Amino acid sequence: MSRKIAFYGKGGIGKSTTQQNTAAAMAHFYGKKVFIHGCDPKADSTRLILGGMPQDTLMDLLRDIGEDKITVDNVVRGGYKDIRCVESGGPEPGVGCAGRGVITAIDLMEELGAYTEDLDFVYFDVLGDVVCGGFAMPIRDGKAEEVYIVCSGEMMAIYAANNIAKGLLKYAEQSGVRLGGIICNSRKVDGELELMKEFTEALGTQMIHFVPRDNMVQKAEFNKKSVVEFDPECNQAKEYAALAKKIIENEMFVIPTPLAMSELEHMVAKYGLMD
Amino acid sequence: MSCEIKAKERAGIINPMYTCQPAGAQYASIGVEDCTAIVHGGQGCVMFVRLLFSQHLNENFDIASSSLHEDAAVLGAVHRIEGAVDVLLMRYPHVKVIPIITTCSTEIIGDDVEGVIRKLNKGLLKEKYADREVHLIPVHTPSFKGSQVTGYDVAVKAFLQHFAEKTEPNGKINLITGWVNPGDVTELKHLLRMMDVDATVLFEIENFDSPLMPDGSAVSHGSTTIEDMKGTANAIGTIALNKYEGGKAAEYLKEKFQVPAIIGPTPIGVRNTDTFLKNVSKMTGKPIPEALVRERGKAIDALQDLTHMFFADKRVAIFGHPDLVIGLAEFCLDLEMKPVLLLLGDDNPTYVKDPRLLAIQEHAEFDMEVITNADIFELEDRIKNKGLELDLILGHSKGRWVSIDNDIPMLRVGFPVFDRAGYYRHPTVGYNGAIWLAEEMANVIFNDMEKKKDREWLLAMW
Repeated sequence: MSRKIAFYGKGGIGKSTTQQNTAAAMAHFYGKKVFIHGCDPKADSTRLILGGMPQDTLMDLLRDIGEDKITVDNVVRGGYKDIRCVESGGPEPGVGCAGRGVITAIDLMEELGAYTEDLDFVYFDVLGDVVCGGFAMPIRDGKAEEVYIVCSGEMMAIYAANNIAKGLLKYAEQSGVRLGGIICNSRKVDGELELMKEFTEALGTQMIHFVPRDNMVQKAEFNKKSVVEFDPECNQAKEYAALAKKIIENEMFVIPTPLAMSELEHMVAKYGLMD
Repeated sequence: MSCEIKAKERAGIINPMYTCQPAGAQYASIGVEDCTAIVHGGQGCVMFVRLLFSQHLNENFDIASSSLHEDAAVLGAVHRIEGAVDVLLMRYPHVKVIPIITTCSTEIIGDDVEGVIRKLNKGLLKEKYADREVHLIPVHTPSFKGSQVTGYDVAVKAFLQHFAEKTEPNGKINLITGWVNPGDVTELKHLLRMMDVDATVLFEIENFDSPLMPDGSAVSHGSTTIEDMKGTANAIGTIALNKYEGGKAAEYLKEKFQVPAIIGPTPIGVRNTDTFLKNVSKMTGKPIPEALVRERGKAIDALQDLTHMFFADKRVAIFGHPDLVIGLAEFCLDLEMKPVLLLLGDDNPTYVKDPRLLAIQEHAEFDMEVITNADIFELEDRIKNKGLELDLILGHSKGRWVSIDNDIPMLRVGFPVFDRAGYYRHPTVGYNGAIWLAEEMANVIFNDMEKKKDREWLLAMW
């Protein structure tokens, strides 16, 4: 039985980087079979796993060759350690409906039976906030059962995480989705660790891992690789290994209790103004 | 001599032949007993569809709307489903089955229909309607995909997916009729009765040819029951008459419950009815009785009176639902007619690979065209501007002006027919359907001969 998990978080927080490094760590250190379904119209959720290889997205193929000719083989690519990757793709900025793209892509993959039983993990990497119904698709009926929110100690990242928690709360009853924890992708801002701890506690969840800031991530990215592939012995790879292990062993799945705006502001001010 | 199968080249649609997916889902839903569908979308998605159904069937029946407005489109609209289910159950104590049929707007905004159904099952239905049997069934029919034809297909599958349940073999066959008329259902049931075969007919709309009773009741209801649908998993086999209107459900029963499936042919004409009866016989082991051989004989007798003398070489254009059009074309060919133009009204890419069309193509003895994604203007344009000569049009009432303006006789067949009286009562399938079709074709041709003073004296002599 594969576990289906979704990664959410504010745009630019390092969601896709964290997600791909975690996938690579699961495959490299623990021999897990992972499938990544990128749900971002920018189609950049699988680049580090595929070594920068541009991938035809599902929506590209839908437009170019038509639904009836789409098969698992022509849309799913194998990458590092045989991690299987698909990108939903979507419209160019300013046109169309990206949310519908996510719905269409996930429906199609399920219809084609792409999420096979032998997988240990299916990842959904979803853009930014849960902005509309389409972006909630991965946490709907029988899809992702657990969610990890990537966050940092900055006000807007926490605000976005809180908003995502509101989305989860909405779907928790209907679909059974649960929050597995918050991944802190450190920005080295003041009081980050303390703030994260208080925030996750208030949400009723855990900070599952604190990923320190390390230039190694950028270096690996320039080489179109995950840190784990680029240098599995380095410290940062070990951090991702630790995160992967915690997710594999995680047993804390909650319905979050999102905060009111005033509480949130108060909390951020408390740590942000410490000095 | 060639037969080309290709998509319409012109952009845009003028005088469309089909409407959109939710209409098909609604047509399937009216065949279910104690069922009122909720169409989750703007009111027009129900209103115009009901109007068409009412025009065609001349009956009254209920379909509900969640009635979306601007705010719901922006803010999400699942609460409209919750409200609609509650109101429907409050007002109609008999309602047990509620398909929730999506539309373009609610699919685009990504309303989580499965989710809200689970919520209602756990909440409202338990708390307020604990003593009632209620089934909420998600039917996904975004209007921007497929057409009313695929909508019907999707809905049949959704119903069976919800209900079909393997228990004990029931010794019946499942007969998925596709989008047909009450008269067709009557004829199909007649054939099965003659074969002494017990069948679950999906969906049973015979009662839409409904009586006006002394107590004043006049609302029509479908007759396929929950038990019927549950039992489909326990049948000897499934026969889906129309590949594109129920084929998916037959495949589903086969894959999920190993119920053998025969898909097609649409039993239009003698040849296809023969195949249908042979299929029923093969599936059930029951012989075809002498009485049906006699019926077949009557049909052949009626056809031979007309074929060579009046039908031979008549040039026919046919438009409408794919299985209907293909069935009619095959029948026309058997009657020595020349179906020179077939129009199918959606962009289903599998039409070009349909074995029935490929067989027609292979044996074409005259030039003919099959146009997919077509509209009715495709017909009009060929007549007015491209020199297409026709003796007869077979199609539904949306083509009436093409017939009137160009003085080409047309037999109304398909959906919707609103400019002729009582056509829903007559079958197009089975031997009786073959007789009706042939004689009606002959009669419109006779009328035309008289009107145009074209060898009309012949009619007094044959």
